[in-house]
Amino acid sequence: MGSVATVAALDGAIARVERRYGSRALARGASFERRSDEGVLRTGTAFDRIAGGVPTGAPCAFVGTGACGKLALALRAVAAAQRDGAHVMWVDPTASLDAVAASHAGVDLDRLLVVRTRRREDALTSAAAALRSGGFRLVALDTGPGLLASSVRADDVAPLVPLVRGSAAALVVVTDQAPRRLALLTFRFERVAWERELGRTTGWTFRVAGARGAEALFHARSYPRTLLDLGVRGELLEASA
Amino acid sequence: MKVFAVARTAQAASDAARQRALDALHTALPRVGVLDRGVYACDLRGTRRLLGAPLEVARRIVALCERAGATCAIGVGPGTFVARVLADQTPLGETRELAMDARAFLAPLPVATLPLDPRIVDELALMGIRDVAGFAALDRGSVLDRLGRAAAAAHALASGMDDLPVHGVPPRRRIRAGRRFDDAIGSKEQLVFALRVLADTVADRLRADGLAALRLVLHAEREDAPALRLERVLLPPAAEPAALVRSLRWALDELPHRSFVSAGTPGDRHALGRIEAAAIEAVEVEPLRGRQLGLFAPDGAHAEEAIAVAQHLRGRLGAGAVLRARVQSPDARLPEREVEWTEVVA
Repeated sequence: MGSVATVAALDGAIARVERRYGSRALARGASFERRSDEGVLRTGTAFDRIAGGVPTGAPCAFVGTGACGKLALALRAVAAAQRDGAHVMWVDPTASLDAVAASHAGVDLDRLLVVRTRRREDALTSAAAALRSGGFRLVALDTGPGLLASSVRADDVAPLVPLVRGSAAALVVVTDQAPRRLALLTFRFERVAWERELGRTTGWTFRVAGARGAEALFHARSYPRTLLDLGVRGELLEASA
Repeated sequence: MKVFAVARTAQAASDAARQRALDALHTALPRVGVLDRGVYACDLRGTRRLLGAPLEVARRIVALCERAGATCAIGVGPGTFVARVLADQTPLGETRELAMDARAFLAPLPVATLPLDPRIVDELALMGIRDVAGFAALDRGSVLDRLGRAAAAAHALASGMDDLPVHGVPPRRRIRAGRRFDDAIGSKEQLVFALRVLADTVADRLRADGLAALRLVLHAEREDAPALRLERVLLPPAAEPAALVRSLRWALDELPHRSFVSAGTPGDRHALGRIEAAAIEAVEVEPLRGRQLGLFAPDGAHAEEAIAVAQHLRGRLGAGAVLRARVQSPDARLPEREVEWTEVVA
């Protein structure tokens, strides 16, 4: 219970908003309460144990060099978002989305809208339109390698941050370079080892670093296209001991 | 007793003037139909005790139209056809009531007055029939056999048998919500927030009448620029506040491209100006049709929003930008044969 002064200040603020925008501009927050499990998208992997899942209502970034598993896990998040019948937008400026891999990851391609546009402004506008509409559970923005000056960079998503904050949607930025000026919840992906058979690369093992130093390990195989969940590093060490 | 009044506006009258005349008729009379462009029929049966003598009613309507900025002439007769002919003969701003039998009134008029095909008029002229009386004297069975059903219907009119009913059109409803702001609004986000409140009001009124908005207009008065008017077409027509706001937001997003005010990025206060008052009006409505939105899918309603976004982006980014993938052959040797990419919105 706030003090009398706080309550009076709050009443004054509410009165000012209602005077400016009308009496229906504000509604009681109780009608918008969410269940605790609504706030995350659970991928069903060790990633959930280190990070709790992909958060909705807040942006996050999957950062790592090429072929380090960030796309594989992002596709798992897409599949998780679609589990309740929701739609997902994948903004793909570099036209690099592998639909077969997405299908193998459990993504329903009928409910995945892919926006392929090379211009940075158009990519950001598309993501903004999707977030504003409320029709998408997750918006993924794959910036690609970021080799060109016109490429989308993680820092460019700053205008999207207020749109996703507090909404029911998740924004996942899949990028090679971590944002420098923007404070995003960042998960770093790192390749640990290549897997080779008969002189050919057939897969790789990667790890995802979450908060408090916890790491989830995965193994991605090219053929057949699978993502093996190896578990959380700490748990593995305890098991081996 | 059958009494009909037909009002006609000037041929050179603008669409707005015609609409004002129709609105005036709707306010004064119970059943008003549209016969032609700028020609309106009013069924006055049973209105004498309530409204007064038909000619008196007609005079009041002429005065009402004058006040609304539309001049019209009114003919009053026992049928819509006779009343229309009478209205055509009456100078603008005046009224006239048929004082004789309809057949006798029509008899001396040229046969082209009747709704006949010009070729039939020429054929009748070759037969020496040039006035309505001559045409009415023909046997109707022969007219039907030789000249067809439309000519037989015209023959009935020539004989004074005018039974054409008035098909009433519902009066235009003005569904509008507006607000004036104490402090001018300078950003797009604030304006959208204010529009959300107005859209709730418009949506409530639409739903109360079972209507959906087809065309939506945003009027905004600006401190530092001329008034802004943005018009949007909603397809499919919608009565949900979210759909109304979304459409207006997109209109605002496109503002710098078509606005004559100073250039700026979307959301720039210079492009939008400082808004002192805003109003939303549904200028064209349709009956609200039920749409089944994913009866068993929890996020089915959101699919509508997703498709609307896809349509918007398709219009903005052009073909080949908003796609959906379908796996054709996962084991194909060539990657391009694995997947087929199709447009979400054709």
